[in-house]
Amino acid sequence: MEPKLAWYFAGPLLGLIIPLGLLLKEKQFGISSSLRVIGSFLLPTNEYFKYERSNDYWQVSFVIGLILAGLISTQFESLATSEYLEVYNTSNWYLFLIGGLFIGFGARYAGGCTAGHCIMGLSQLSLSSFVTTICFFIGGLIASYLLIPIFI
Amino acid sequence: MRVIISIVLGLLFGTVLILSEAVYWQRIQEMFHFKSFHMYGLLFSAIATGVISIQLIKRFKIKSVNGNLIVIKPKKLNWKGNIIGGMFFGIGWSLAGACTAPLFITVGLNWQIGLIIFTGALLGVIIYGLLYKKLN
Repeated sequence: MEPKLAWYFAGPLLGLIIPLGLLLKEKQFGISSSLRVIGSFLLPTNEYFKYERSNDYWQVSFVIGLILAGLISTQFESLATSEYLEVYNTSNWYLFLIGGLFIGFGARYAGGCTAGHCIMGLSQLSLSSFVTTICFFIGGLIASYLLIPIFI
Repeated sequence: MRVIISIVLGLLFGTVLILSEAVYWQRIQEMFHFKSFHMYGLLFSAIATGVISIQLIKRFKIKSVNGNLIVIKPKKLNWKGNIIGGMFFGIGWSLAGACTAPLFITVGLNWQIGLIIFTGALLGVIIYGLLYKKLN
């Protein structure tokens, strides 16, 4: 099954976020710190959330753009085949809730997610991001082969 | 203006992720089951673009639009966090079939599922904050 946009077009376009972020915003690409910003408003006295959050405000605007992209695409028909949409059923809520928990906890403990480590970190050839990306895949393989067959 | 630039960047990044189908749970499963090269192609070509961009910016000392020299901070190595946090994140990536960008895009695409993943992720970050001292 081929997607609307092949990887050899989409990948380089995604990678352009790195020079664009640096040139336009003087920011290193990342997304999961947006969740730390939200946490800092909910638990302002916690040691982890007491930090210079204004440096990460741009990530909150960035994720608003991501949500808008999702909203706009719902206005166009058949962006995905129905087989792809089957799993998005609220009866699978526990899968998404537990998945979300692991994403949030893991991203902050590792110091970044796929954006900050796989895309930005590997682009700067950082050892920390090599280690983390390998562990992302180890975790992903464990879940795909061992956990999901139990859940679904 | 600065806020609008960030929102537009998010909008463009999100649109490419939707058109390339990287936002879908099935695509993530295909990747972890090595059934399709698509996601690997996406990741590798995005990283290659990033490596080249960073080398060009460094070599030619290209300045930002505000005229400042661009300083790229190294990612700090933290064995415990990188390994344990990385594995936790990987498990979540596979279960939810989304990483952080697709998580937010899903809020727009399918708000019920999106809000469930978002609530989980926010709770995960709060739990990390509460355990921060013990974990580090």
